[in-house]
Amino acid sequence: MTDQNLLDRCQQALDLASKRGVDHAEVFGQASQTITSSVEKDDLQISKSQQETRIGIRAFVGSQVGFASTNDLSKLDEAAADAAILANASPGDPNNVLPDPQAIDPVAGMYDAAARSFSTADAVKQSIRMLEVAKSVDPRVIVGEAEFSAELREHVVLNSLGVEATELASLFTYGVLTTARDGDAVSNMAYRFGAARSVDAIDADPIARRASEDALGSLGAEKGESFTGQVLLDPFAVLNLFAPLQFQLNARNVLRGMSRWKDALGKSVAVQGFSLVDDGRLPGGVATASFDREGTPHQRLSLIEGGVLRSYMHNAYTAHALGIANTGHAAGSAGSLPAIGPTNFMILPGEIAKADLISEIRHGLLVSRFSGNTDPISGDFSGVAKAAYLIKDGKIDRAVSGTLIAGNLFEALKTLSGISKETETVFNYTFPALRLEDISITSE
Amino acid sequence: MQNLLDRIVASASGWIELRYQARSTKRITVRNGQLEESSSVLLAGLGVRALVDGTFGFASTTDVSERGILAAIDAAQTAARTSAGAKKKRIKGLADAPMATGAFSVATDDPLDAHPLEEKLNLVLELDKQIQSSAAEIVSSTASYGEIQDEKIIVTSDGASARIVDSKPELRAMAVATRNGDQTMGHESVGVTGGWSDLLGATPPAQLAERAVRLAVEQLSASHPTGGTSVVVLDPSLVGILCHEAIGHTVEADIVLGGAITSDKIGKTVASELVTLCDSGASEHAPYAVGTLPVDDEGVRTQRTVIIENGVLRSFLHSRETAAHYGVAPTGNARAFVYSDDPIIRMRNTYIEPGETPLEELVGGVNQGYYLRGLGMSGQADSNAEFMFGVAEAHRIKDGKIAELVRGATISGNAFEVLKSIDAVGDDFAWDHGAGHCGKGQLAKVDAGGPHLRCTLTIGGRQA
Repeated sequence: MTDQNLLDRCQQALDLASKRGVDHAEVFGQASQTITSSVEKDDLQISKSQQETRIGIRAFVGSQVGFASTNDLSKLDEAAADAAILANASPGDPNNVLPDPQAIDPVAGMYDAAARSFSTADAVKQSIRMLEVAKSVDPRVIVGEAEFSAELREHVVLNSLGVEATELASLFTYGVLTTARDGDAVSNMAYRFGAARSVDAIDADPIARRASEDALGSLGAEKGESFTGQVLLDPFAVLNLFAPLQFQLNARNVLRGMSRWKDALGKSVAVQGFSLVDDGRLPGGVATASFDREGTPHQRLSLIEGGVLRSYMHNAYTAHALGIANTGHAAGSAGSLPAIGPTNFMILPGEIAKADLISEIRHGLLVSRFSGNTDPISGDFSGVAKAAYLIKDGKIDRAVSGTLIAGNLFEALKTLSGISKETETVFNYTFPALRLEDISITSE
Repeated sequence: MQNLLDRIVASASGWIELRYQARSTKRITVRNGQLEESSSVLLAGLGVRALVDGTFGFASTTDVSERGILAAIDAAQTAARTSAGAKKKRIKGLADAPMATGAFSVATDDPLDAHPLEEKLNLVLELDKQIQSSAAEIVSSTASYGEIQDEKIIVTSDGASARIVDSKPELRAMAVATRNGDQTMGHESVGVTGGWSDLLGATPPAQLAERAVRLAVEQLSASHPTGGTSVVVLDPSLVGILCHEAIGHTVEADIVLGGAITSDKIGKTVASELVTLCDSGASEHAPYAVGTLPVDDEGVRTQRTVIIENGVLRSFLHSRETAAHYGVAPTGNARAFVYSDDPIIRMRNTYIEPGETPLEELVGGVNQGYYLRGLGMSGQADSNAEFMFGVAEAHRIKDGKIAELVRGATISGNAFEVLKSIDAVGDDFAWDHGAGHCGKGQLAKVDAGGPHLRCTLTIGGRQA
């Protein structure tokens, strides 16, 4: 189903680049075949079948780099020429380097042969099932979107230093977006997501049910209260609010002087119980792959351990610039230069049940989703608490709407008072619930 | 290619839509004096939509030979047929529309390809240098240039056969300032539909750098705003984001059918009578709006759609499918970003019509409040029109005069409540969302703007 000749095409592109008089080159090839079935507003909307092969060429002239990509395989020579022209026209940078070859230990379970026979009809069945399960929870639920996607993907990385990496993977992803409507009252949107690497592991029912329950919970929310107090963030809200941590941990931002943590290696940046891990080899993870965008092996990397900053995320450029080991975090598609990004990004769970974290709150707010800003530089956050519930004397009191929360992410990391033992996975993020202290809560 | 598509469509069975696209993209990014990216992307492919048994199917391919196109048509028809069994509400038909035929191009006498890469590279290097050297507090600078050039050919079995050529360049500046361990950021950008000189003329690069630096540096000594309800004057940029993000998405007919707050509001008062809010395929009131498109991706000629007229909700934004459902004419809002996307309802240039009040009077009428400029780091809104936007630059207004800067301000509320609270609309106009994209499963280049205006909303800050 995927392009059997991808490796040959990539080899051809590498040869074409070297004929353009460049010193070194890298080729990243992707071939994918995707089947998607989408439900919108309670009915099947459309099914799609998509096929693409795309090749990206990075050319090096000394320390100068140019990049070109194309999905038109008759234009490989044109792309190679563009990459060479761009490299020749661009200022140099001594840290523009390619990684040397390293042994790659393939991650098991990346590919399920049964995915090859997964048909459009199978995808339709799955999306309709999600719709039915979500609607069965309560007739007031509207399924805004339910999408099931089956993808077969092949990746190839070749470079003129001898890197040669290939991987074939299957991935099934499914998400449900719901609202609930009762007369004039419309709930907040609720979203749940799941993924599997094999046909047998697909399990979308709980996803659909949770999306419905979340939407129903925020129906009938009324005006809240203004106070300064404790906020318990559900994993999805943790994702909304804590996503800028990736910015601080990106070694490129350390080099740029933009990371708050540029001088914090080995220092305490969070409470003792807080540990953050990035695991590119996590079994079944959405972002799992044996190697990164430059062909460097993925690993499980401890970023923050017991509150202490242990590592940044590196690609070949930043590892060379800082003179330390490459962590295999080159990210991106064949359509762009390698950047730096997380793989499966996880805050490790604590030891307390979420219910116990709530029972200790005298006056606070439970927040399921956060719709707002966290400034990655200053850490200031401010925004609307979505699907929020007032907590009084250790119990959930009622749903509240139009409630703003504000504070500072870096202060919150150093003062947070609870990490739940339960975690949830959304996309490539796995987070527990977190309890924050002294958060400004404003009712509109 | 157009002849080939015409011929294939003429002999195909059932309703089909073929959309060929060739796209060339260039991107240059310089950070702290170092080149981060210089890239060129060439994409070409075909998207096919088929309607079988009242159900759409879609397929895309990078093989645009006659054989490849026929295979994609077969895949799209199979997807439609397979889905039809599970679909409850079959599509009864597509609304009749003025289908586009002929050639359409966004006119410019200064095409991007007439300017060599070195010139673009030098512009970005120079912009970055200017940011870096403008103030001692600047610790990081970023400048970037991007361009998208598109050729699309849309042929449908019911009459469209159009070729559309388009070019959209953009330029961005970002500055990070620091003092005593505190860091702040300022950013500014411009994007146009047009050519090279249109981009440089819209906002001169020096002005981008100056404003990004000033914002970053001034925030270092700014305090936080006080949270609560306040009278504010919004600039055209924030008016635009309110129109697009908080109102516009709730009137996209697919979102309406999904249960948006507007579903039963046509003909009802939803805003102050001072408000007339539109979405147009043309660049109304000011040139170069980036959402400009003469023909949408269903091959329908676009128009100026009045969404709210003097406070009364008049129209949703439609594709041919939703227009047929509502029994109205299509508005030309079906768009697809690349060939591998199927057309869905998107905005184009969304704005509030200018009024009669000069800016000085808008501010002069406020005792205690805020003057708010530009979108901050992000914005979000729900289908119930609840929104939250970061503000790039917020000043207090004291006794009718713009006073000190505050930092980290956000605005939130229900967008329709905010529209009802408008008590004066400015006599000026600007577009300000030309750089970047709107996301709705797929990207789109859209623009938004309007005049300054005065309203009441919730400011997020810190508890006093």
